[in-house]
Amino acid sequence: MSGFDLKGLTASFGGERVIGPLSLNVHEGERVALVGRSGAGKSTLISLIHQQVEGIASLVPQNLGLVNALPVFHNVYMGRLDTNATWYNTLTLIRPFAKDTREVKALLTELAMPEKVWIPAASLSGGQRQRVAIARALYRRSGLLLADEPVSALDGPSAHLVMKLLKDRFATSVIALHDVELALAYCTRIVGIQDGHIALDEPSEKLTPADITPLY
Amino acid sequence: MFRVEVNHVILTGFVKRVRKTLVESHGKKKDIQMVLNLIRKLALTSFLVFVGSATASAQTFVFTAIPDEDETKLVERFRGVAEYLSEQLDADVRYIPVKSYAAAVSAFRNNQVQLAWFGGLSGVQARALVPGSQAIAQGEEDQAFFNYFIAHKSTGLDRADTLTDDLRGMTFTFGSKGSTSGRLIPEYHIRDIFGEAPEEVFERVGFSGNHTRTLRLVESGTYDVGAINYKVWEKELEDGNINTDDVKIIWKTPAYPNYQWSIRGDVDENYGEGFTDRVREALLALDDPELLESFPRSDFVPASNSDYEPIESVAKEIGIID
Amino acid sequence: MFSSPTVRTSLIFTAIAVVGLLFADIAITSANPWKDLGRFFLGVVTPDFFSTEGLATALLRTVAFAFVGVALGSVCGFLLALVYRAYPVRIFCAFIRAIHELFWALIFLQFFGFHPLTGVLAIAIPYAGIFAKVYAEILEEADPEPGRLLPPGTGVISAFLYARIPDCWVQMRTYTAYRLECGLRSSAILGFVGLPTLGFYLESAFSQGHYSEAGAMLILFYVLIATLPLWVKPRLLPVYIIGAPFFLGEGMPIVWGNVARFFTQDIVPGPLKGDEGWSGMGSWLGDLFVTQALPGIWNTVILTQIALVATGIIALLAFPLISTHFGGPVRRTSGHVFLVILRSTPEYILAYILLQLWGPSMLPAVVALALHNGGIIGHLIGRQSSTIILRPDASTGLNRYTYELVPRVYRSFLAFLFYRWEIIMRETAILGILGIYTLGFYVDNAIQNIQFDKAMILILITASLNIGVDILGRFIRRKLALQTMPTC
Repeated sequence: MSGFDLKGLTASFGGERVIGPLSLNVHEGERVALVGRSGAGKSTLISLIHQQVEGIASLVPQNLGLVNALPVFHNVYMGRLDTNATWYNTLTLIRPFAKDTREVKALLTELAMPEKVWIPAASLSGGQRQRVAIARALYRRSGLLLADEPVSALDGPSAHLVMKLLKDRFATSVIALHDVELALAYCTRIVGIQDGHIALDEPSEKLTPADITPLY
Repeated sequence: MFRVEVNHVILTGFVKRVRKTLVESHGKKKDIQMVLNLIRKLALTSFLVFVGSATASAQTFVFTAIPDEDETKLVERFRGVAEYLSEQLDADVRYIPVKSYAAAVSAFRNNQVQLAWFGGLSGVQARALVPGSQAIAQGEEDQAFFNYFIAHKSTGLDRADTLTDDLRGMTFTFGSKGSTSGRLIPEYHIRDIFGEAPEEVFERVGFSGNHTRTLRLVESGTYDVGAINYKVWEKELEDGNINTDDVKIIWKTPAYPNYQWSIRGDVDENYGEGFTDRVREALLALDDPELLESFPRSDFVPASNSDYEPIESVAKEIGIID
Repeated sequence: MFSSPTVRTSLIFTAIAVVGLLFADIAITSANPWKDLGRFFLGVVTPDFFSTEGLATALLRTVAFAFVGVALGSVCGFLLALVYRAYPVRIFCAFIRAIHELFWALIFLQFFGFHPLTGVLAIAIPYAGIFAKVYAEILEEADPEPGRLLPPGTGVISAFLYARIPDCWVQMRTYTAYRLECGLRSSAILGFVGLPTLGFYLESAFSQGHYSEAGAMLILFYVLIATLPLWVKPRLLPVYIIGAPFFLGEGMPIVWGNVARFFTQDIVPGPLKGDEGWSGMGSWLGDLFVTQALPGIWNTVILTQIALVATGIIALLAFPLISTHFGGPVRRTSGHVFLVILRSTPEYILAYILLQLWGPSMLPAVVALALHNGGIIGHLIGRQSSTIILRPDASTGLNRYTYELVPRVYRSFLAFLFYRWEIIMRETAILGILGIYTLGFYVDNAIQNIQFDKAMILILITASLNIGVDILGRFIRRKLALQTMPTC
């Protein structure tokens, strides 16, 4: 159960409506790309969805939400704090168990940064930090991904690597992307946002980059 | 036993580490050895006390004294007394120094000390707080103790039969707040003679802390006038510690009962039947001239609670005790 | 310029202090203050490290009490910080930190006597109150985002350990280490009321005029504090904390009956113990208030206001000593040494020394408070001024001081000053124990007269006064939009 059907979504900042009212129905298995100009309301929509689905989703927010003082391992491990007992989590903080270390290392290897596992998040580069947040979302193993510009700080090949991983590991996803090529390549459905409303909602195979450009 | 082992391991580790750092930084072997021995000694004693405090302390008989003079003098004097008493009583006897008269009274009241060398006032206060406690011995001289009022040369005051109005507007120092000869008696006489509180008679009233300090402060002119226990004055004079050009006696108070040894009422119960009597006998029999000289008293004579009634009534009169 | 709120506030406070001076008892009463001062400095430059076997023990005990007290205080403070949102907890913490360490020691002495617990709790309790406040502020400021991202169903403890603590850890550690330095100072002055720390021996040496001995103790104390970063390493910390309790000294055994007696009898107000009951309370309290509390409050407030302004003046004069914008490295190094000495010497010890040398009046207290607190603030804004980058053709000398630097650091200077207002008042009250007629004098009187009921009421009044000034100080800082970090 990773699809959702949301109606009458609205959000306001300082009395000014920035989103909606809009409705969004996402079926299980759909991979939705949110596209549109910056400030159109993509990020707000992502966090609205996150609130509505009550946290069953894996979230990659734009500011990543890493704990800078903790090493990469623990930042990733935090994705599954709910499945383990408190004593287990506490011990892990002091000395991680081999099984978890193996799992996290494997994930980081897929993201091409296995050597960083014990480095504090504070000393990573922007691209590396982004991949740690993605690793945390993957480690969480929920069916639904909500991601806000998850590859904005990555170079071309890495961006493709990450997008492919996200495509393979999550049944359903809603990803805010400003890169139209990536959106068309990895998502099944494109939702264009303009001034807080849905201005375009089509399957990606029906679209070309030229159809999307007017949104920007 | 397990706890002992663990503690020991930790301490040894600590000492080793200290040694390592010391060797690295200095390399002076002798100094290091000294410091290490000290640390070891301290650790060991603290440790033993920690482990054994529950049992050992019950047997130790502890006494204290009001801090009416320089600390080094007190420690020297009462260590001698501790040795003497432990020999006479065949018990572990220890002296602990305190920083204030109230601390001596509290320690007595709290049964952390069982015996104390009190002044007239502190003795009255302490015995009022501990039921059954009694004064058991006083110095020969304490039966008729007196004070000197002393003045700095710049005041131009001379010895007289009473305190004169010339003192008005000068600065004055007591000894300690809880002292008989440093506070109670001088205050009583000031109120009696001038009909006013000391703060109204003098421009400034201070508490030096103890008699030696009073002497030093008046000698240096920090205060114009001060009140001092005559025994301290005479001892310091004899030892050549007073510059009589700078400070002199201006008045001698009438006599009053002062210092005494007081003992708690529950001592027999805790230290064995007749212990109070043994302590009293030991104190009265003290005849080591050197030890007596350190007080300085010529002899110890029997005392009783009723000897101190005059002190109690004076203290009530000026509101120090309720 | 006079329209600026910071300048106006400064002028109002200065005016209050000047008026206060008219009522204050400021005098040098000793006949030869400079001769004594000279003898004291001679003692400091000819220290005698071997005169007493007590010296090494005193230092060791000072360190041990500081470690155990601060460790206990930080653990309790941390636990309190977790529930600091609750209003009663805030009030409780404000209350326990408003009572000075020495007052706590005097209270515990009455029933624990000379047991190490007295000294440990005297440090740990007020420190717990301070730690609770500062830790709570640090935790509050942590980035909330990681916490929001945790999967639902994450345990409270796990969430706290992963999403909160790591972010705050460095700040909390820095603050705790800084508090350890304060703890050493607190521990040292506890000796003045009879605990076996440095103050005990310092007081003895001083009152007997053994200035070389006193000098040696002071020098060793400065060295101890200055080298703190060298011997307090995170890795060694567990060793120190486990080892420290063994070096507290033996003291006297605790008699628990005394504790019960203290709370059920000693501190019960006199009339309630007697036949008068509640009807006698009015006159008893009224009498206490008029004859002791009011004069005590009056003197405490006057002395505090004068000392506050004097602190400000010293700080403004002292900060160029370490600022990189003045003088060469030699001047600056000596400036650093000077300021380290000023801020490492507890006010209480400074006041004690000056009181012995100059005779009793408010003057030694004002000077002691101003030197110590001025040293601390001077150090902080001096360091801050060094981070200012001046344009290459900036003026030099006095012009540089008045036009370039003072205006730039003035706001943080005021922030620190108002932060320390409450601290200065707390210290002012306690200096009464030395014979200045502030609240501490009356508290000490009551204790010396074995009237703990009166002592407790006076301590409560002192604490309320401190809390009041703390609130006022915070109000002014908010009003002027001044921000600061905590100092002690």
